[in-house]
Amino acid sequence: MNVIKVLLMLFLGENSMPEVILRALFIISLWKIFKKSGVKSWWALIPWAREYQLSRCAGREQEGRVWSVCSFGMTVLNLIVMCFSFKETDPEMLVITLILISIILVYMIYSLRVFSGLCELYGARKRWLWLWSTTYTRWLPGLIFAFNKKYQPAWQVEDFRAEMERLAFHGSAEVMDKGLTVNLKERSVREFFQKKVLLRDIHMSIPQGHMVLLLGGSGAGKTTFLNAVNGYEKANAEVVLNSVNMYKQYKKMQYEVGFVPQQEMMRGKDTVLSTLLDAAKLRLPKEVPAAMRKKRVAEVMEIFGLTPVKNNLVEKLSGGQKKRLSISMEFISNPSLFILDEPDSGLDGVMARELFLQLRKVADTGKIVIVITHTPDRVIDLFDDVIVLAKDSARTGRLAFYGSIEEARTFFGREKMEQIVKSVNRKEEGGDGLADDFVAKYAEVKYA
Amino acid sequence: MPENTATAKKQIKVHHRGRGAQVGIYLGKLLRMFIYQNDWKVLPMSALIAGLVAMVVRKRLFIDMEGSLTGAFAIVCVGIWNGCFNSIQSICRERDVIKREHRLGMHISAYICAHMIYQALLCLAQTLITLYILQLANVQYPLEGRITPYFMVDFGISLFLITYASDMMSLWISSLARSTTTAMTIMPFVLIFQLVFSGGMLNLPPFAQPMTNFTISNPGLKLICAQADVNSRPFVTISNMLSRMHDKEVGGTYTLRQLVELLQDESNPKIAEIRAGKLDDGTTVGKLIDAIAEDETVKANLDEGVTIKTTVGEMMDLVGEDKVKDYINKSASEASFKEDYVPSDDNIMDYWFRIFAFVVLFAALATITLEFIDKDKR
Repeated sequence: MNVIKVLLMLFLGENSMPEVILRALFIISLWKIFKKSGVKSWWALIPWAREYQLSRCAGREQEGRVWSVCSFGMTVLNLIVMCFSFKETDPEMLVITLILISIILVYMIYSLRVFSGLCELYGARKRWLWLWSTTYTRWLPGLIFAFNKKYQPAWQVEDFRAEMERLAFHGSAEVMDKGLTVNLKERSVREFFQKKVLLRDIHMSIPQGHMVLLLGGSGAGKTTFLNAVNGYEKANAEVVLNSVNMYKQYKKMQYEVGFVPQQEMMRGKDTVLSTLLDAAKLRLPKEVPAAMRKKRVAEVMEIFGLTPVKNNLVEKLSGGQKKRLSISMEFISNPSLFILDEPDSGLDGVMARELFLQLRKVADTGKIVIVITHTPDRVIDLFDDVIVLAKDSARTGRLAFYGSIEEARTFFGREKMEQIVKSVNRKEEGGDGLADDFVAKYAEVKYA
Repeated sequence: MPENTATAKKQIKVHHRGRGAQVGIYLGKLLRMFIYQNDWKVLPMSALIAGLVAMVVRKRLFIDMEGSLTGAFAIVCVGIWNGCFNSIQSICRERDVIKREHRLGMHISAYICAHMIYQALLCLAQTLITLYILQLANVQYPLEGRITPYFMVDFGISLFLITYASDMMSLWISSLARSTTTAMTIMPFVLIFQLVFSGGMLNLPPFAQPMTNFTISNPGLKLICAQADVNSRPFVTISNMLSRMHDKEVGGTYTLRQLVELLQDESNPKIAEIRAGKLDDGTTVGKLIDAIAEDETVKANLDEGVTIKTTVGEMMDLVGEDKVKDYINKSASEASFKEDYVPSDDNIMDYWFRIFAFVVLFAALATITLEFIDKDKR
C-alpha cells in the first residue's frame, strides 16, 4: 500500500484518491493541450517535466523552469514526510513545513504566471485564472481548453531541429598570418537540459588595419559573436589572431584584445588619471617602468582628449568623455584587436563622428577595429568592411554577409546600412524577414 | 610606446602583474575611494552606535552578572552591525566593473585580499572608536587582561574579530548578490539569524541549538562574557527584588500543633540543623523545643491558632539583611555558572580562533563565489 502511495506521489504529486482522480483528469487535459501546441503528448506523463512543457506552450519558459523545480521540491518533501512518519510536534516537521510553505508560495505564483500565458495562448479571459489557480479545479479549464474546438492555440511551439539542419552550411575561412581569422562552427548554451544554438557557421578573415562594422538586429548574436571572438565565451570555433590561436593561448592573448563594453563599467568615484594609471598597471607588462607607464597614460589621454579632465571624478564626466575614457582604458595596452560594443550610444552625431574618426586613426596604425553601432550610416565612410549577422528561422545567429561596404550594397541591393539591417530582421520585428535568403545566398557565393 | 609593441611582446617573454602586485593596485584604489565613495561615514556611524549602547550599559557592564551579560550582548550586536554595514554593498555595487577587469586579467583572490586589508583597517578604526566611546561613558573596565597584560587590548582584539568576521560575512553576501537592492534585502535576515541564534539571550529549543555553531554572535558572546568574568559577578536581580519587597507583609495563621510538629521534624535537614544548635547553658535547641512541646499548657492549646504577621524586611532583619542578600547573590551566581564563561586562557584563545576561522571561511567563500562572475547573464 505504501509503495503505491509513494508511486502515486512520484508520478502524480498526490496520493489521496479524490486528488489522484482530479490530477489524472488534469494530465488527460495536458495530453491534448500538448498535442494542440505541437509538443509531444507523452510529456504529460512525465512528472516535473510536464510543468515545463506546459510553460513552453504558454510561451513562459522561464517561469516554467521555476515551477518545475518547485514541483520537484514539493514531491521530495512530501516523500520525506511519508517515509519518515514525523509527528506534528517534531522539530523536523516544523522545518519541513516552513520550507514547504515557502515552496508552495513560489509554486503558486509561477504556476499562475504560466496559466496566465495559457489564457493568452487560447484567447481566454483572465478570470479563468481563478479555476487554474487550485489543483482541485484546474482540471476543468484544462479539459475545456483541450477538448473544446472553440479554443485553439494562437501559436505553436516550434521545433527548430529540422529547420537548423535545412539551413546548415559548412565552410571555412583561410587562416591569415597577419589578421584575424574566425572559423566558428557553433556557439550554444544549455538551458534546463535543452540545447540552444546561439550562433552557427560564421567564417571570415579580417586583414590588419581594417575597421569593420558589425551589423544585425537585436538578438542576432552580435555581442555573443564578439565574446566568442575574443575568447571570453568560448565557442566550438578556431579564432586565430596574427597566427596565434586565441583559445589555446587565451591567457597570453587576452592582453592583445581590447574590448570596450556597451555600458561604462568604470568606478565613478575615481579620478580619470587614477583610473588610467591603474588600467596601465593591470594591462601593461610589469617590465614597463613607471615613467614609461605614466608617459603612455599621458599619450592616451592626449589622443582621446581627456587631458583637461584628468583630475575629475569619472562620474562627473559627460557621456562622450566617459565613452572615450572607457576606450582609453583598453587602448592603453595597444591591443592588436579592438572591439567596441556600441561606443556611440548616447552620443550626438558630431561627438559620435569625432569618436569614430579617432577609431579610424587607431585602425590606420595596423590594428583591427570591430565596432557595433545602431546608427552606422552617419559614419559609414570610415569603415572598410561590414559583417552582417541575422537571426534565421531557427532563431540562430548566422552570417548573412562579410565583405567591403560597396560589396554589401550590391549584395543586399540596398544603399543604406540601416536598410540592410531591416532586410534581415524578422517580419514581426518590423523587418523584411529575408534572413534565410541572404544567409543561403552568402553561403552559395562563398562556398559554392 | 613603440608601434611594434605587439610584435615585440611576442619575441620576449611578457609578464603581467601577479596577485601580490594587484593587491597593491586595488588597495590603493579602495583607500582613494574611502574619501570619494563616502566609506568614511561608517566611522562616525560606529561612534554613534557605540554612544547609544554605552548610554544603556555603562553602569552595570563589568559590575554585576546581568549587566555584564546584556552589555556583552549589546557589544556583540554593535560589532556585528558595524561589520555588516561596512561591506554589504562594496562588491555588488561594482559588479560590472569587476566583470570587466576580471576579463582583463584581474585575479579575484587579489581583489578580495585587497578588500580584506582595507576592511581590516576600517574595522580596526571602528573598534578603537567604540572602545574610546565606552571609556568616555565611564564603563568600569577591569584592569588586567588574560592573554595580554591589559584588559583593553584583550577586549579590543575580541571586538575587532567580531566586527571583522561580520564584515567578511557581508563581503561574501555582497559577492553573491547581483545588486545592492538584493544585498540589502538579504541583510536583515542575516542579522536576525545572528541575534536569535547567538544562544545567549534567548533560550533555544534543543533542536535549534546546533544552529548556534553557524553564528559569529555565539562565540562572540561567550568571548565577551568570559573576558567580563560573568561567572564571578554578583547576580543582583533577586536581592534587588528583595529590597523592593522590603515592606511587603508576609505571614499566616497556623495551629500550635503544626508549629510543634514542624520544629520536631528531624527528617527535615534544615530543622535538624537548627535543633542541633547549642544554647548558652550547653543544652541544644532541639531539647528546648521538646521540653516546650511537653509543657501541659502547650499540650492543652495544641489546636489553638497562632497568627504570624511580619514584613520581608523584618524577616531579613532576624538574620541580617546583608547576610541574606550575600547568600542569595552567591547562590544565584553559583546556579548561573557556565563553563563557557570561564575566563581561562584556553577558552578565550578558543573563541578567538573560532571567530578568526569565520574570517577565513567567508573570505574564501567570497573568492570562490566571485570566480564565477563570468557566468552572470548579460
